Order: sequence, then C-alpha cells, then structure tokens
Amino acid sequence: MSKFKDGFIRILLTMLLTFLIGAVLIVAIGESPITAYTALLKGAFVGKLNLGTTLASFTPLLLTSCAFVVAAQVGAFNVGVEGEVFLGGITAAYIGYKWTFLPKPLLLLACFAGAMVVAGLWAMIPAILRAYYNVNEVCTTILMNSVALYITSYLVSGPMSAGSANPQSPDVAVRLPQILKPSSVNVGIFIAIALVIAVIFMLYRTNMGYKFRMVGTNPNTADYAGINSKGIFIKAMVISGVLGGIAGAIEVLGVYGYFLNNFAMNLGSNGMLAALIVKSNVVATPFMAFFLAVLKSGAMGMQQATGIPKGLVDTITAIFIIIATMETLFDFLKKRKKEKPAVPAPKAEGGNGR
Amino acid sequence: MGGAHVPVKPKKLSGRRTGYKGKNRFAAEQLSLLSYLPEREICKFRVFQKEGFCKNTDLPEEMRGERGLVRFDKINSDKEVRSMSDYVVEMHDIVKTFGTVQAVKNGEFTLKKGEIHSLIGENGAGKSTMMKLLYGMYPINSGSVTIKGETVSALTPKIAIEHGIGMVHQEFMLVGGLSVLENIILGFEPKKGLRIDFDKARKEVQKYIDEYQMEVSLDRKVNQISVGEAQRVEIIKILMRGADTIILDEPTAVLTPQEAQNLFIILNNLKNSGKSIVFISHKLDEVMEISDRITVMRQGKYMGTVDKKDTSPKDLTKRMIGREVFLNIEKNYDRAGEVILDVQDVWIPSQKETSKIRGISFQVREGEIVGIAGIDGNGQSELVEAITGLRKVEQGKVFVCGQEVTNKKPKGIRKAGLAHIPEDRNKTGLDRAMTIQENLVSVTIDDPKYTRHGLLNGKAQEQFANEMIQAFDIRPTDPKLPTSALSGGNAQKVVVAREVSQHTKLLVASQPTRGVDIGAIEIIRNTLEKAKHEGCGVLLVSAELEEIMALSDRIIVMCEGRITGEMMASEANESSLGLLMMGGKSAGKEGVDK
Repeated sequence: MSKFKDGFIRILLTMLLTFLIGAVLIVAIGESPITAYTALLKGAFVGKLNLGTTLASFTPLLLTSCAFVVAAQVGAFNVGVEGEVFLGGITAAYIGYKWTFLPKPLLLLACFAGAMVVAGLWAMIPAILRAYYNVNEVCTTILMNSVALYITSYLVSGPMSAGSANPQSPDVAVRLPQILKPSSVNVGIFIAIALVIAVIFMLYRTNMGYKFRMVGTNPNTADYAGINSKGIFIKAMVISGVLGGIAGAIEVLGVYGYFLNNFAMNLGSNGMLAALIVKSNVVATPFMAFFLAVLKSGAMGMQQATGIPKGLVDTITAIFIIIATMETLFDFLKKRKKEKPAVPAPKAEGGNGR
Repeated sequence: MGGAHVPVKPKKLSGRRTGYKGKNRFAAEQLSLLSYLPEREICKFRVFQKEGFCKNTDLPEEMRGERGLVRFDKINSDKEVRSMSDYVVEMHDIVKTFGTVQAVKNGEFTLKKGEIHSLIGENGAGKSTMMKLLYGMYPINSGSVTIKGETVSALTPKIAIEHGIGMVHQEFMLVGGLSVLENIILGFEPKKGLRIDFDKARKEVQKYIDEYQMEVSLDRKVNQISVGEAQRVEIIKILMRGADTIILDEPTAVLTPQEAQNLFIILNNLKNSGKSIVFISHKLDEVMEISDRITVMRQGKYMGTVDKKDTSPKDLTKRMIGREVFLNIEKNYDRAGEVILDVQDVWIPSQKETSKIRGISFQVREGEIVGIAGIDGNGQSELVEAITGLRKVEQGKVFVCGQEVTNKKPKGIRKAGLAHIPEDRNKTGLDRAMTIQENLVSVTIDDPKYTRHGLLNGKAQEQFANEMIQAFDIRPTDPKLPTSALSGGNAQKVVVAREVSQHTKLLVASQPTRGVDIGAIEIIRNTLEKAKHEGCGVLLVSAELEEIMALSDRIIVMCEGRITGEMMASEANESSLGLLMMGGKSAGKEGVDK
C-alpha cells in the first residue's frame, strides 16, 4: 500500500515542481503566474461549458490510457490504441447510419458491439505476430496506426462520405445523451469510468487478471505453472483494443454524431503518456489522464484571460513529463530516511563484501 | 605464512593519498608499510592503529630507525633476500562472500613460474571465484594476494593486467561483428596518424601465431569462427597485452576432444616459453594429462595441492567430493511399485554441445527416489525441462502414469500427475513480483476452489497459504508479502510447499536445495522423503553428490547427455560415482588411471 502512497506523493511533488518552473516562464513573459494559474483553473472548472469541456476531453483519455495499461500488464507496449480508436469510431459510425432498421437502443448496442469487435480484431494482429512470430509489437502497432488512419480517411472521403465539404460520414441515427450542455460531454464518461473500474477489478480480483499479471511479470513462471502465456498475451491485447474501440464509439456517438476525419489524432498517444508517467499503475493512470485533460482545456481559458499563449501549457506538460520520468529525482527523500539509522552502526572490520 | 611476506619497492607515501590527517596520517603511513611485513607484525600494527598511535618497537630489530620510524632502507635491503621465492602468484587465507553465501572459505593457491597448475573441484567449489579474485573482478573480503613478490591489496582487472595476469573467461569477450584482427587489437590499436596501423598490428599478431602454433585466420569475422578458434583469439589477445600468467576458466568445457588436444599443444608451447598457466577444470583425465601440479577445492575450502606424479584420479576424486559422514536414511526400496515415469530413448536438442541429450531411457517407480547425479551442464536441466513440458523432445517418448506426455504442454503433463520443483526458483518457480499467496496457488489457480465463475476466491487462497506457511515454516508469515521479500530458503519452501501439496504421483525435483540455508535443506529433504513414503515417485536431480547419496534409492549418473551408470544407492560410493560423472567408463575399482 505504501507503494501507492509513495507514488502519489511523487506525482504531487512533480506537479509542484512543474508549476514552479512554469511560474518562472510566466514571469519571464511578463505576466503574473498567480493570475495565469487561476485563469487556467477557471478555464478548466468554472462554468458549465468549461467543466464540460474538461470532462469531454477526459473521457477518451481515460479509455485510451486504460487500454494502454491493460496491454502493459502482460508486458506489451501497445502504441496502437490510436488506430483502434479510429477503427472503432468508423465502425460505430457505419452501423449508426446504415443499420437504421434496428430499434434505437439495439442500434446503440450494435454500434458499440461493432466497434469493439473491429478494434479487438485489429489489436489481435500485432498480438499474434508478437506471440507466435516474435515480431516486435511496438513496430507493428506504430505502422498499423497509419494504416488505420488512412483506411478511415479513405472511407469518409469516398464510400462513406456525407458529401459535405469536410471529409466526414453521414450523421448517425442514434446518439449518446449529452449532459452539461452546451459542452460536448456525454454519458460516455460514465461508461468510461465504469469500464476503468471494471478493468481494475478484473486485474486484481479475477482469474484472468491474475494470469495477466503473472504473464506480465514473469512469463516463464506462467508457462511453467501451466498458464498459456501466449494466449494470455493475445487476450490482453484484444481487451486493450476493445477499450480503444469503445473510446472511438463514444467519441463518434457522443461528441460528433458522425465520423470526422482525423478526429482521434493524439488521443492514443496522450493516453499512453498518462499511463507511462505513472508506469502503467492502473489506479494512478485515471488521475493522470484527468490531470492532462485539465491542462488541455484550461489552457484555452488562460489564453483568453491573460496574454499568455496556449502553447505555454504544452511546455508545462512537457516539463511535467520530463520531471516525472526522472526516476531518481525524489529519491533523496528515501535516502535521508534510510541513512539516519545507518549512521550509528559501527564500521565493519572486513568480512563484509560490499 | 611461508614466503608470503615479500617486500616491494616502497612507493612514496603521502598522507593525502591515504586520506588521513595529523596523528592518524602518521599511523596510516606506517600502516601502508604493512604490505611489506609478515602477518604477525601486521596484526600488531593493527592493534596500535586502533589505539590511535603507532610504535615501531614490535618491528624486527633491523627495521627500527630513529624516533620510532621504520627504516625504509632496511626494508629495501631485505627485498633481495625475500624475492628469492619462486612463486609468480601466491594467494593465502582468501575469504570471499557473496551476500550470505561463502564462495571461498580458506583459499590457498600458489603458482610457480613456467608450470601448468590445475585448479579442480565440483561446481560451486569456488575455483572460478578464486581466479576471478586474482584477476580483480571482485574485491576480496580478506586474505593476501602476492604477485611476483608484490603484495597487491585492492586488485582490479586493470592492476592485474599490469601485473601480467590474463584470463580467458568461460564466456568469450569478443565482438562478433568485427574481424579477428580487430578484436585482438581492440583497445590498444597501433596508430599511424589518426588511422589504425593494421600492417603493424598484423605483424605483431603473426609473431604470436607462429611462436605458439595458434591457427587463426585474422580476417574472418568472429561470429564465423569456431569456438576453439575464438578461444585461441582470446589467448592471443591476452598475450598481446603482455600477460605471462594465463588463467583459463574451464577452457575445455566448450571444446570437442580434438580441439581440446589442440589447446593442450598450445598450452605446452606457452609453458615451454616460460608462461605460467592456471587451468580450471573438473575433468580429471584432462587434468592428469596437462598439469604439473594440481590444487583441489571443495565447497570453498582448500583441499591440498599435489604434484601430478604423486596422485591418481581416484585420489583426486576423493579429495574433490569425498565426505566423511552421511545422513543414513532408511530406505525401503522393496516398496517400489508401478512405473510412474517412463522415459524411452529420448533425444533432446540444446544450444550447448555437452548438454544435448543423446538417447536416454530410465524409469521411476512408485515409492522410490531416483537420483540423477552429474556435473552441472551435462544435460540434466534439458532432461528435466523435456519431462516437464518446457522443452521439446526431438525423438523418443515420455510417459507419466502410463499416459504419453511427449511434447505436451505443462498443464497437460501436470494433469497426468506431475509436480515439478524447477532448478531456478527466481526465473521459473516463482513470480517474485507476486505475493506468497498468489505464488502458492499459481499452478492450481484454475481449480474451482480458487476460481469460481472467473472470480478469484481470495479467502480460500489465504487459508491455503496460511496452512502452507505453517506446515513449511515459511518466514515472514504474511501471505500478502511479495515473494521478492523472501530469502532463498524461504522462497524455495514456497515452491516446495506448492508442488508437494499437489499430492501427485510424480515429483520432479531439480536442484531442490541449491543456494538455501541448512534449515531449509533439512525441511526440503524431509519433505521429499515423506512424499516418497506416501507413494510418490521422485526424480531428484542435484549437483550435490551428497544429496543424491543421502536421498536416492537408485542413482543414475549422467555425463555429456548420456547415462554413464546406474546403480542402487547401496552399491554406490562417492569415488565410483565421481568417476562416472567425469565420463569414466565403468564403476570399476580401477578408475581411469592410464
């Protein structure tokens, strides 16, 4: 448990340090850091629209980061979440405007089911290549992201085009109800939160989660104990893909109402970022995703209220990541704790190897 | 201490270098003289140093100078007398520990100029460690090392090389993508301007090749040459760096017999040109062929040094593995019942030549322990992996409880009645990131007791874990602790507890007590014995001959992937087993004397 606590203290310290450095930059621009940060927070939280926008950008991040974490549990580095979001989105859009013969609730389910199946199968390809042919999944997923992006681009500018100026699909016949109007946040956020909780439960309370963790930390032991490590690896990748697909479906059905070309740009990589900063800790990842969402949506408010360009927030995000990845930065806290009792210990008279 | 106290050229002493100040600096300066002094004097000096001052009255009379100072000139003049010692290397009272494991307990080793000196012992006897200490790869806990009359304290490979020591490691240190010539000169390339002077390098290398008849083709890439050639490249590399003391760590382990003969010719050439050679091995016939003197080690202890002409393989075997006392466990072999494990002419591939299994057949029956003895790396690991489904069998069949399990997955073999204590608990037996509880159920996790409708039953797990922790005295006793917090012995108890609690018909135990403390050894051995009495057939693989002798009813000896002998434990004795382990042809009393 103290591991989690340590982790959170680390994140808090990291945030603090980041904002201090950010403050220096803001002062250098000639603005007051206090007003800037207040504006940032206001831009993220105060008012229906602002809060809604934050939550709306939080929803897909939550799912994509979670998708990355699930794959990371079995030792896979799934860069392909973005492609899975695109394909899930396009499937949901296709079913959403084509299968109008279905009653609406069923249509909604069909959209999600289709997105899950397509994205899951898509993620299965690199998983099989890795498990049985030892093809590095990082390479394949990066490449497959481009493939997925171009497939959807082609579809919305060709066969599935709405015929409008923008490359986009026709409107879907069923939408996820929106909340906090006029922002684009929708009930998808509850789906996302429920899914994340389900994933955490799955990892620590189910047989499958047990196997995931064992394959991730020691595949040799898993094989020795009679667990099919390759099968488990593929399963986890498919689940990761399914989560990505759901994120795509929520974006299409909840936010846009149609498939907009390139809509998921950076959703996957930002999710990955959130997961990587906390080393794929499944409990901490949602908080990280939320933090990134706050920074992103608050940036606009800050730009409007002060003379500080939105780009500064990207700088702050970057600083945050750099600091967060400096693993030994806050180790001095631990060292000091350890050193104290060590001082009175007498020096060993030889016989002590190290 | 004999000739240990050979003085050296006194270096300029400075307080700054020793890091002491004032009175302590004086003491430190005096102390740094210690390297010139016999052990007795060193002890006295230590006492004084602790008390904070330093006197010279305990020095030999001729070294006392005015005002309590040591007379350096006297020490100097002493040098000639003492450097008469004809040893190139002397190591005395060496102690080396790794964590809690004592790798070397009282290492003794001397090397004469121009001799081939073999260092032999079982695996883990500390012979490689001794030589790695000499080469400065690890710091020494205590003891003295004298190289060519100079007592060297903090040895590092750099210092060792400066003193003319070179080592050919078991794993070659060569860059695969570079040519042989490039590898040889790597790190001290002769330069012509900014470029490497390959012509000069080639000439120099050729000199060594001609002198010692070491055939190497300088222009081939290292990853295209044979193991034997790579070894020669390593030797040339060492010679180029000016070594006159060459350590070879089990050089023949990777060679074919022909290549080994070739190596011996080279070693003899080196010896004739005045180089001193240390030859680490556990193959007695080779040792008898090549050595001038032989030093034996057993379990980190020095077991004596003998001239080759005064010894025999039998004598050496006794020194290497002989023990005085054995645990006498009552053996009721008559109870052995049905065949549990049947291995029929099995062939198993392996990366290493010596560990390929070439046609092995044997059986294990109900209620007996069959021990497989052999020196590590002779195919035992491969055999166990094949039986337990972790490695593919090329040819032949394996039956467990009458069911064919050849090349089945571990899960299927376990269903047929296998429990398996693997040789490496860290890599295979345990997931050290997971808790004790989770590890205790890892092979039964799909059992309805622990999983219902896909959900884990944490309570049942914990209850089982607590039972096991009590029964096997696993400490600490908290089942929620990660196994990374456990000591070797306790971690192994987790594995043993889990496997034995399966109550299967067959238990394969591979190195069950490797690297664990005595308390755990006792528990684990008693557990195996108990399993046998309950009708389980146990296949015990161990590099510890003593363990095999103590537990087994029948003993199978393996060497280089073949069974070289099979006997009842009652008929076996250490020397007969030892000879078989070295590949000796029969268990006869004559041994392999030539």
